[in-house]
Amino acid sequence: MTTLAAPTPVVHRAVRDVLPVVLAYAPFGLALGATLAATHLPAWVAWASSPLMFGGAAQLLAVQMLNAGAAGVLVVLGALVVNARMLLYSAALAPHTAAWPRRWRWLAAYFMADPVYALAITRFTGTDADGPRERLRYYVTVGLLMWPAWMGLTGAGVLLGGVLPTSLRLDLAAPLTFLLLLLPMLTSRPAYAAAVTGGTVAVAASGLPLGLGLLAGAAAGIAVGGWLGGRDG
Amino acid sequence: MAELLTLAVIGLGTYAMRAAFLVMAHRAPPARVARLLPYVGPAVLAAIVVPAFVAPHGTIALAETAPALLAAAAAWLAWRRLKRNLPIALFGGLAVWWIASWAVSAAGGLGLGPS
Repeated sequence: MTTLAAPTPVVHRAVRDVLPVVLAYAPFGLALGATLAATHLPAWVAWASSPLMFGGAAQLLAVQMLNAGAAGVLVVLGALVVNARMLLYSAALAPHTAAWPRRWRWLAAYFMADPVYALAITRFTGTDADGPRERLRYYVTVGLLMWPAWMGLTGAGVLLGGVLPTSLRLDLAAPLTFLLLLLPMLTSRPAYAAAVTGGTVAVAASGLPLGLGLLAGAAAGIAVGGWLGGRDG
Repeated sequence: MAELLTLAVIGLGTYAMRAAFLVMAHRAPPARVARLLPYVGPAVLAAIVVPAFVAPHGTIALAETAPALLAAAAAWLAWRRLKRNLPIALFGGLAVWWIASWAVSAAGGLGLGPS
């Protein structure tokens, strides 16, 4: 593992893959930072959600609920329901990371945000199969670039919060960013079916409390994808 | 500092969920589970994305849903046509959303459409 940091083709590939994602995350990160700064929480406390959670969707939910005066237990519950998808990401990545040394897997878990998961799973399940060491290099490179980018973007958003014109609306930046993480995953008919089902059920169940509609959609989509995938394969 | 504590608890819980299978799994998942794993990404991301476009502020309203869906379609098209260029697709989608939102509110102001 002493050569982990040495530049290799897979590291270059990781840098090339992650830079456009960082750029695409800029509006979301800045908008989230500005939203964090607009709460009554001390700015540094709101920003601390970035290193503590490293995931914009739950940060937004948690800080907005705290700002609205919700009870701490409810805030924790709501954010953990939104982040329960990390259990699924963890399960989906595990077969590709089993050969990594354990301490690297502890680190990899911390980096497991949506964009890191999306880039890694696309790379690991692609046609050109990497060995475990290459996979680890790819993952850690993506994480080491995405993490400071997210800290910096949300931090800049906090600082610029009062300066950004209110007419500059960025609230659609987050779903657009997630859409662009989703598109490369639509590589087969069952994958499309999983996405269509997940999206439809999530809309139908959007009235559920605590953001449980997301989990309902995810469960339905995974089930339909698995059913079609088993039938086709 | 109750708020910081709350955020830290969420962070710990999130980390535990991220580590759960990554660190603890010792062997390959059973075949029935492994068959489902490829669909985690598409299903979860669509469950986040689709409601955000269809009902941007929690309810389906034409004045907000139409520009958002138009922006999503534009981003998708740009991503497909322009060699999967993420920044162009994202900023293109945002631009379409701004223009469409402005057009809808202008039409609404003239009494032509939904306000």
